[in-house]
Amino acid sequence: MKIYSGTGIGTKKTSGVLRFYKSDGQSAYKNNFTTCENELKRLELAIKEVKKALEKMHKRAKSHIGDEEAKIFEIHLMLLEDEDLMETAHLEISQGMCAENAVLEASDKYCKMLKALNDEYLSERAKDIKDIASQLLNVLSGKDVSESIHTSPYILVAEDLTPSQTVMLDKDMILGFVTFFGTPSSHTAILARAMGIPALVGVGDIDMEHDGEFCLLDSEKGELIVNPTDNEIELFKEREKEENRIAKEHESYLRSLINKPAISKNGHRVLIYANIGSEKEAEGALLNGAEGIGLLRSEMMYLSLDRYPTEDELYYAYKEAVTEMKGRRVIIRTLDIGADKQIPYFNIQKEENPALGYRGVRICLDRIDVFKTQLRAILRASAFGKASIMLPMIVSENEIVKCRELLEECKNELFEENYAFDSKIELGIMIETPASAVMSDVLAKHVSFFSVGTNDLTQYTLAVDRQNPKVSHIGEENREPILRLIGYASEQIHKNGGWIGICGELGADLTLTQRFVDMKIDELSVSSPYLLGVRKRVGECE
Amino acid sequence: MEQFTFIIKDKNGMHARPAGAVANCAKKYKSDIKIYKNEKEANAKRLLSLMSLGATYNSEIVIKIEGEDEKEALTDIKNVLSENLSEG
Repeated sequence: MKIYSGTGIGTKKTSGVLRFYKSDGQSAYKNNFTTCENELKRLELAIKEVKKALEKMHKRAKSHIGDEEAKIFEIHLMLLEDEDLMETAHLEISQGMCAENAVLEASDKYCKMLKALNDEYLSERAKDIKDIASQLLNVLSGKDVSESIHTSPYILVAEDLTPSQTVMLDKDMILGFVTFFGTPSSHTAILARAMGIPALVGVGDIDMEHDGEFCLLDSEKGELIVNPTDNEIELFKEREKEENRIAKEHESYLRSLINKPAISKNGHRVLIYANIGSEKEAEGALLNGAEGIGLLRSEMMYLSLDRYPTEDELYYAYKEAVTEMKGRRVIIRTLDIGADKQIPYFNIQKEENPALGYRGVRICLDRIDVFKTQLRAILRASAFGKASIMLPMIVSENEIVKCRELLEECKNELFEENYAFDSKIELGIMIETPASAVMSDVLAKHVSFFSVGTNDLTQYTLAVDRQNPKVSHIGEENREPILRLIGYASEQIHKNGGWIGICGELGADLTLTQRFVDMKIDELSVSSPYLLGVRKRVGECE
Repeated sequence: MEQFTFIIKDKNGMHARPAGAVANCAKKYKSDIKIYKNEKEANAKRLLSLMSLGATYNSEIVIKIEGEDEKEALTDIKNVLSENLSEG
């Protein structure tokens, strides 16, 4: 028995016989340069030959796999005739290199160039160039591109697979893919997803001796077990069966719970909202029965750019989330950077204690233009549904007052500019510091809702750095101080007519749900995969 | 000379397929068509040249077209860019 691990693609399992894909390595050829004219002629003929083969593969891919998969061969055809690539090859030949080595040199040059871009996707495309090059080399050296024939289903192992290799494979026979190299955006991974079969990429060397041996492939665990024991096979099969059963059961259970409110046995209703990192996740939240978005983190947009996003860019993103949620509440948290989330173009100076430093609303109140751009974008999106604004890292009344002034300023501007927006847009704050929990009775006079960020509240209450593995266990072992703070805040907020939710990790901790129901927490916001579990748990609470 | 800027909204950036579409479109025109990203320059008629720009998601690119059919090329290139490199 031998266990290999790599990056799993998908969550499925499969078992079967391993088969190695055999391909020729590309190493430099002996320089057989004849004459310049002759080498150019050989190259030209090889290109023609490969072109024919590619056109055939394109057709085959179109009829056997689909248009999307076939498009890669159109790209290959274009690469084959790419002037840059061919100019380089011609240049090498004119300097006394044989056609084979000229092709290798040219492909190397452009592969390196694409790899130097440091873009995972484009680096992967370097393989397309290699693929073309190896086909040219096969023709130049008189080899045939042959198809490996198998008569029973198998798990395919290869160093890496190129599109021209995979198109010639009989897809019905493949149970899964395992590759030495590659990443989740490799061709193999893309193909596996398209075919709905498990794959494991970036496994490293696998002993060729395993060819023909039985193995278990678990893409969720990212594991390949070669020559498993009978016991393991039995366990694996059982788990596979169990997972299929759970997946089915979960699915039907999910459907039965969607649209049913989560009410505890003593009649306390809890709104089940979703935490999302970008507008694109709203759809998934809805599919899992989210009654609203409890936390739309707005940092992604800022992190993905190398400049400040424009008002329109932010507006389109927020509008998409708000529209998608069809009138359900979408709480957009204003920019919360600093501490562990740094953005280079903000040019924030390095600090001794960033967690206790310049972050969240503290930055926004200094960089008023940046803040107002975001507030205006949220306001404009509020015309399309129900958007709410949530401020992070509030410790005092004063900060809310300042933010509220800026919000009013934005409203006046937008009104003057004839933009539609929700003039009664709700304003809320995060409870991340003991200060905001202790002062919640006062703060509640300024805002309509609160949401507890339990990770930060834990960090700031217990003086435990979230990033430091030496102390993080202290947070896990000392929930009570955090829970008492939340309980106190809930009481004060309700007395003052506000409502309170929890959007931190503790919100999804099912062992605490009863406690939250007892505290009369109004809303629990968790990431989409946990929505159903929390909804179910609330219903079971006393 | 015609010139315009475009922000790439496809999450994968100027990858093989959109680059192929742009190159195929550019090849139809006699005009010289260049695409710039920061200080880098690419010949829009050449696939590898386009892919080597490193124009990723949210990059701003500048397209410059010069030649007898620059007006027609401008409209066509604009369409191809927005069809192939907008969101999605």
